[in-house]
Amino acid sequence: MRILIMEDDVSAAEAIIKGLADAGHEATHVPDGEAGLEAARGGGFDVLVVDRMMPKVDGLTAVSSLRREGDSTPVLFLSALGEIDDRVTGLKAGGDDYLVKPFAFAELIARVEALCRRKDTGGQATLLKVGDLELDLIARTVRRAGVEIDLQPREFQLLEFLMRHAGRSVTRTMLLEKVWEYHFDPQTNVIDVHISRLRSKIDKGFDRPMLQTVRGAGYRLDA
Amino acid sequence: MRLPDLVHTTSFRLTLLSLALFAAAAAAFLFYIYIATAGEVTQRADEEVGREISSLETVYARAGLAGVNQALIERTIGERPYFYLLMDAAAKPISGNIAVTPVEPATSEARSSFRVSETDSDGAIRRRAAWGRQVRLPKGELLFVGVDIAEGQSYVLRIIRATWGAGVLVLILGLAAGLLVSRNVSRSLLGLKRAVAAVEAGDLHARAPVRGVGDEYDELASGMNAMLDRVERLMGGLRHAGDAIAHDLRSPLTRLRSRLEAALIEVDNGRADPTESLIQALEDTDGVLKTFNAVLAISRLQAAGQAPSPQLFDPAELCAGLAELYAPLCEDKGLAFSAEFSKGLKVRGNRDFAGQAMANLLDNAIKYTPPGGAVMLRVRRRSSGEVECSVTDTGPGVPLEDRARIVERFVRLENSRSQPGTGLGLSLVQAVAEAHGGRLDIDEGPGLVLNSASPGAGPGLRTALVFPEPTSAV
Repeated sequence: MRILIMEDDVSAAEAIIKGLADAGHEATHVPDGEAGLEAARGGGFDVLVVDRMMPKVDGLTAVSSLRREGDSTPVLFLSALGEIDDRVTGLKAGGDDYLVKPFAFAELIARVEALCRRKDTGGQATLLKVGDLELDLIARTVRRAGVEIDLQPREFQLLEFLMRHAGRSVTRTMLLEKVWEYHFDPQTNVIDVHISRLRSKIDKGFDRPMLQTVRGAGYRLDA
Repeated sequence: MRLPDLVHTTSFRLTLLSLALFAAAAAAFLFYIYIATAGEVTQRADEEVGREISSLETVYARAGLAGVNQALIERTIGERPYFYLLMDAAAKPISGNIAVTPVEPATSEARSSFRVSETDSDGAIRRRAAWGRQVRLPKGELLFVGVDIAEGQSYVLRIIRATWGAGVLVLILGLAAGLLVSRNVSRSLLGLKRAVAAVEAGDLHARAPVRGVGDEYDELASGMNAMLDRVERLMGGLRHAGDAIAHDLRSPLTRLRSRLEAALIEVDNGRADPTESLIQALEDTDGVLKTFNAVLAISRLQAAGQAPSPQLFDPAELCAGLAELYAPLCEDKGLAFSAEFSKGLKVRGNRDFAGQAMANLLDNAIKYTPPGGAVMLRVRRRSSGEVECSVTDTGPGVPLEDRARIVERFVRLENSRSQPGTGLGLSLVQAVAEAHGGRLDIDEGPGLVLNSASPGAGPGLRTALVFPEPTSAV
């Protein structure tokens, strides 16, 4: 996937590019908002990673202009600000996700990939399939290898999110934000308990576990 | 303050401006007086002249030109202050006590002001103002009668001079008063100026003197002092936070550094796989970041003094979500979890911060309550109208003497050191509570009645985030 990084901190940008390259993505870097706008208007990017504070044109302005021009490329804002209001203003300006510096690399990659995926699966599928696992969004049922699995509503939402991002790491913070819609940080890993319950339901009795724990990152659902 | 500096002050300029206005008004007044009195003098003279002329005309009618001539001779002999000139139709003088008529042209009937020269007793020649009128007598002769008005005019001049003098005196006094007022104002402002200069130079302890007379300078000074107090408190808070961060980050950073160093040595020696050390190092880093974020959140809440983007929300709904999030954790740890929510309550605040605070309270309860215990989450309205979101546990509790201390930053009691945590959880709850105009209550739990058999159980702890009634809130 092609990713445009708008970031004035060159060494940070280099690290991001290297990390994305290791994850199999091609990243281009521009050091300010003006060059970023030009590059983004050139098109061909799957995700824009935009630092909020940049010389010449700041991130918010750049993204608002792109949105006004009808560009809907997913945007991940990076920010050293990080108050709750900052996140809200970022999303209002047309950002799709918001990450506060300093961040875990796994978090950045997981979020970038989640945004790419969102673009891929724009269509409204009613049946999600990962390997032999099936999730019916209309009937609210889940089957693995044809056996129906009984899930609590929240477990269903959790699995849906994991299936939509199958094969990619999702972090605990992402799950907390997207499944529970909490924008704060519980101190113990409450998410782990929910994951282990889900895991016991979908993997128990099957040879091959699908729900993997990714150390230092979070979880991944594999086919 | 030196005089040239004083001249540049606002109060002095204001004095000058009012003096200028006064001077303009005085000049207009003088001009009016002059016009009015000067006109009066002339008018009186004219009336006098008119009376004299009509008496001479009576003589003329009775005794003809010769009669007038005779009358003029009689009158000029007396000490009357009139000037006469009797002329024929071509303005050729016949008799009188002046040589030439001052009227132009000489044969017209007109009024005129003129001057006469007079030799006084010292032999000096003085010119005196006069006013006269010329008329044509029935047979064509011309008669001019004038009167000396020097006395009246000099009276007017004296008044004008006196007024001018008074004006100048007022100006001088006004200027002096202006200088005095400016000096007074400058003195009053001196303390303020000194304090501002000191703060500018970096001394945040500097305060403006309040003289205690309660005037507007005192008000300004105490306002400025209050502002400086707040700034200093905030700076102090930030400095304290900075110190605390530096202090608390030092040990995890040291640990992190030695772990990385050890990993490097292992790799150099080709002895072991550094992956485990690196993963540990990552976890250490996350811990550092967590601490950092918590301190930052607390500082920002304290600095702002209010919750960011407040809105009305249902605390029961927020806590129900949290209950759902935390219930499995309790169950896994062998804790009985229960929740009780009053419906239809509203509080005003920042939902995310309130959620974070409640999550911290739940976290603590679950962390410190031994298996077999119970945790209860409750949202209710107090009879005072306040809304309370409380978490009650059956854990070891906190001794009364320590309760005030545990909300301080980085304070961790002995028995809590074995548990993971930043030592900032309750400080953040406290900061959130204060930012919402509420408070954090810490009381004893339900006591030892329940689960008295389980080891580590104690009097329990009840922590509550108390919100004020939404109407009285921010």
